[in-house]
Amino acid sequence: MTEMWTPPYPEPGSANDAAFIGIGEIPSGVYPERGFMAQIVEASARAIRDAQLAHTDIDQIVLIPCLHGIPDQADLIFSRVAEELGLHGRVKSSVMVHSGGSTSDNATRMAAGLVASGQARNVLVVYSERWGSADLQAMIDMLSVNGIPAEWEAPTGLQFNAIGGLITQRYMHQSGSTAEEMAAICVALRAWANLNPLAMYYEKTLSAEKILGSKLISDPIHAFECPFLADGAGAFVMTSATEAAKKHDAWVRIGGSGGCVSHYSAGQDADLGVLGWVEAAKEAYEAASWGPEDADLAEVYDSYAAVLAIALEGLRISPKGEAAREFYKGRFSPGGQFPLNTNGGLLSAGHTGVGGGTALLIEGIRQLLHRAGSQRQVPNAQRCIVGGTGGSYMDAQIMMLERVQR
Amino acid sequence: MSVDSGYIQNADELTQPFAAALAEGRLIVQMCNDCAAPIMYPKYRCPNCFSGSLDWQQVSGGGTLQTFTILRMGAPSSFDVEPPYCIGIVKLDEGPQLMCRLHPGADGTWDSYVCDQRVSFAPAAAAEVAERPAAWFTAA
Repeated sequence: MTEMWTPPYPEPGSANDAAFIGIGEIPSGVYPERGFMAQIVEASARAIRDAQLAHTDIDQIVLIPCLHGIPDQADLIFSRVAEELGLHGRVKSSVMVHSGGSTSDNATRMAAGLVASGQARNVLVVYSERWGSADLQAMIDMLSVNGIPAEWEAPTGLQFNAIGGLITQRYMHQSGSTAEEMAAICVALRAWANLNPLAMYYEKTLSAEKILGSKLISDPIHAFECPFLADGAGAFVMTSATEAAKKHDAWVRIGGSGGCVSHYSAGQDADLGVLGWVEAAKEAYEAASWGPEDADLAEVYDSYAAVLAIALEGLRISPKGEAAREFYKGRFSPGGQFPLNTNGGLLSAGHTGVGGGTALLIEGIRQLLHRAGSQRQVPNAQRCIVGGTGGSYMDAQIMMLERVQR
Repeated sequence: MSVDSGYIQNADELTQPFAAALAEGRLIVQMCNDCAAPIMYPKYRCPNCFSGSLDWQQVSGGGTLQTFTILRMGAPSSFDVEPPYCIGIVKLDEGPQLMCRLHPGADGTWDSYVCDQRVSFAPAAAAEVAERPAAWFTAA
């Protein structure tokens, strides 16, 4: 028997409590003219400026991986970013953290740990992805090999849209959700994207009729319910509460976190309609001492509608089986009762690979810093639940974000 | 020659007995010699008691269909099958579960399948199994 262990989270206001102080992002979409490293430098520069720091204040770089190609990933691993930012000879280390779509959560844990333990002062976390401009068949093949067991599942012809189909079929069966209710999820996310100038589909609307009239890709998923691969980049800066207070009136802290790795193989999850969210939420809510009823908004990984619905139910933001119907009734749309994935999510802001989860995290920080602009800022947002998942929805990772006012 | 043996040393050792049984039209899963847990997908050590003493056992072939999907486009380049084809997850009566292929019904489609229905192991032709060692199931 393993003994119970309650992690000692830093108290709010403690000197080394980790603080998000700046964010930077460039538009997501298809931008073939934008280079991988150019995107990294621009997003980093925006985040460092937003944090009111000089680039030379950064003493630690944490990199979120790209999936479009090995050479660019190797550049991340081998400190090219330090040199491109003029930080060689200055930063203590440059290191990549990787857990697929949940990387943003794990990179945040790492950055916060470095700050809290006094091993870093100002940490830059950055991602850049070129999925939108990559060869589509090459990306399909890459996603059909990585995260799928070659011995046991590749011989069935499984690929990523099929995993989405398997999860969606299970979710619809368990919840009794209709195709119209599932389509409402993508429609709501598109409505949020229409308020976000950085979103891939800022200027394009989407209706349930269009979704249900599009061809089936992997039953029951239609073409317009599949994530659109995008180019994009984003960054954020973390420091200690002590450092944050020197230049900022407000910042964002981590009230607690929770996580659960539920499987590696999609075929081995105990229930694809549940995944790891229930376990992760229990830990996160205990650590933060607040829960879904106290949250002003949430930013939760949404590469397929059912993936989001299952997460919302595990997070207890929606009652069991009701998430899709709540979307249908407008609860999560702009103007609804509960703001969700206010950047448009992966499904409408653009799926920037591992960076898609990072974009949601950045949006959560942005909302709590009250920098989301007049179109979509959640009034007086104080608390945000961020949820991420990677691979074949192998894990559920939760960050409980809180606004701190000096 | 190996100087260290007595444990399963690579994926070929782990997968070959399963594929060989499929080729004979049998479905087997791994079984722990110490705690008798049925294991699927096969592992290097028992996930339950961590024993390294593992063997194989034929299963009944009966199970329930957890979920399924019909892939209609975008098959992996390495998978030489023209869509549509149907993939499912079956939970065997013995406990373990696995990703599998589903045979179409008499009408040539997969329209009659529903989650949680009973299914049974129905091996594909030997040539198919030799190329793609997957278990196939059909409505029970």
